Amino acid sequence: MSKKNSIKFTLIRGIAALAIALLVAFILIFVSAAGENFGEKLSNSIAALREMLVSPLFKKNGSFSSRNLSVVLAGTIPIMFTGLATCIMFSANQFNLGAEGGIMLGAFVTALVAVYWKLPGPLLMVVAVLAGGIAVALVMLIPAVLKAKLGVSEMVNSLMLNYVIMYLIGFLMNSYLADTSKGITQTYPFQENAMIPQLVENGSRLSWGFVVGLIIVVLCWFFMYRTKWGYGIRMTGLNQPFVMYSGMNVALIVILAQVLGGFLAGFGGGIEMLGRYNVYNWKALPGYGWTGITVAILAGNNPIYVPLAALFMSYLTQGCSLMSTNANVPAQMISIIQAVIFLLFAAKQFLAGYRQKLVVRSAQEERAALEKGGNK
Amino acid sequence: MNIFTTDFFFSIIRIATPILFATLAAVIGEKGGISNIGLEGIMMMSALFGSLGAYWSGNWFVGLLLAMAVGLAEALLMGFFAFNLKTDIILTGTAINMIGSGGTLFLVKIITGGASTTNLITKSLQIPSINIPGLKSIPVIGAVLSGHSLLTYLGFLFVFLTWVLLYKTPLGLNIRSVGENANAASSVGVSVMRIRYITIGIGGVLAGMGGAFMSMYYAMGWSQDMVAGRGFIALAAQSMGNGEPLGGMLAALVFGFAQALGIKVSATGVDSNLVAPIPYIVTILALVIFALNQRRKEKKRYATALK
Repeated sequence: MSKKNSIKFTLIRGIAALAIALLVAFILIFVSAAGENFGEKLSNSIAALREMLVSPLFKKNGSFSSRNLSVVLAGTIPIMFTGLATCIMFSANQFNLGAEGGIMLGAFVTALVAVYWKLPGPLLMVVAVLAGGIAVALVMLIPAVLKAKLGVSEMVNSLMLNYVIMYLIGFLMNSYLADTSKGITQTYPFQENAMIPQLVENGSRLSWGFVVGLIIVVLCWFFMYRTKWGYGIRMTGLNQPFVMYSGMNVALIVILAQVLGGFLAGFGGGIEMLGRYNVYNWKALPGYGWTGITVAILAGNNPIYVPLAALFMSYLTQGCSLMSTNANVPAQMISIIQAVIFLLFAAKQFLAGYRQKLVVRSAQEERAALEKGGNK
Repeated sequence: MNIFTTDFFFSIIRIATPILFATLAAVIGEKGGISNIGLEGIMMMSALFGSLGAYWSGNWFVGLLLAMAVGLAEALLMGFFAFNLKTDIILTGTAINMIGSGGTLFLVKIITGGASTTNLITKSLQIPSINIPGLKSIPVIGAVLSGHSLLTYLGFLFVFLTWVLLYKTPLGLNIRSVGENANAASSVGVSVMRIRYITIGIGGVLAGMGGAFMSMYYAMGWSQDMVAGRGFIALAAQSMGNGEPLGGMLAALVFGFAQALGIKVSATGVDSNLVAPIPYIVTILALVIFALNQRRKEKKRYATALK
């Protein structure tokens, strides 16, 4: 298939997947919409759908809102990191689903450093975020080494670790770390010099972490597509025996992919914590890990597309949450839409018939061109 | 304090039941070459519809049937994406789990008009407990084995039935052959697609029963994330049980033991956050021990073969 047709197919396929997801969304909204009769329900649903699709960027009167835009951009920060983490782990065919617990642990460790460690100036900020990343990288050694050395499923282990992380943080918070002067369970406030400065001062919590995220995206892309180790990771995913027979250390690559993924998830947790909050107060797993998987699937496991995919998911999340406040459709609809998009994007055979047609057509065109050349 | 009372052993069996159903689903799935990580999500959805079905109809049996039907439907949906549209089965399962976690809450809010749990199951809608006449009067054993939910007895019966299905029926042979080598099975005229749908479908029904147990016996209604990883633990139990029904059952009982012990310990006033992760830690440890053991056996086999 020619490059033009290949791009055309990818685009059409993506648009079709999104259209189906929107259709599902509309049906769900319609079912949950208030209204006495069909017409009333329909107009309410359309209003709700409009709320979901338009309100993340525009004000009620239709004018563009830069504050709303910065809220959407701020929402991309955590899922950009979990998305990158998942990209790298999935590229090596390591179905480690630990980004969910990873971002929570990273946020927690960063918060502890930010509260307790007395370091001068911005050094504290850097050390805190790195500590979050390193802590999770170390934890990810557990599923990684067990997979590489004993062949134990990294998937089951990483899922189990998510729960262990959640409960142990809960225990540490309740027993030792909570600020007892407050009614809710939270840590003492972070030191002033730990906070990541805001990019725009409009209360949207869009911090410099966003820029850091974009830089990390480029670094990850460079690592995956321009270095030997990145190549090893991608090849392990595509053809593990090939990597083995060509003399690369598969076990090491399997471990590296998961440790790097863990580092990114933990690092992202730290950035999110210091950019958005001034105390740690997460009680349950935040869900960013799961959204990160969707981001990685949308990006086709290529880091460079992660910001775009994260932007899309953040927009959708924001849309759903606005819809739930203004149009009374439960915000959890996002998880169903997300699942639909996710499934269709990951489906190899989705629109395969159409792809076949395109292949045949470009082959015929090529042949026609050849014959024309031959007649001359 | 003596914790090893008859009550304690009774609770092990009760706690192991939902894990057992999911484990059997995982065992049949793996035999057919399908790693179904969507069991967790299927259990969530079935738990929801089980409790709703019982409430709507006023009959626990209808609730159970609805839970099984929903489990089947979700499994077939997974099959459609995984087999027809060639989506990676792990990603398909992850999507089902997303729906099971957030999507169920969405449905509850829509159906009940805003509530985020269903405390719909009253005593009469609960899956009935059964006292076995002769067994009940035996001391100790009676108190441990009698008086369980109907589903618990079914679950243990299913261990045997699963073994019969896999090893004593033509369908079981087909399932195993498709799991072992789909191309070879296909070459002798087995419809691989059909067998795969049947395999994942049976798993869905079993997981559905596990879900029904959660919301219609273990708890009196549905709440978010109530399955709490049991579907994932079942995958571990499957591999610890060496992929066999009986082994899976023993592994499920080990998890039941771990959790029952946790509940006992937390009753002494220990922070529940310290006790709650025990089953998950036990899962990891158990997988490691199993893998080490497996490796040692292999080494031994090579050693004797070389002699």
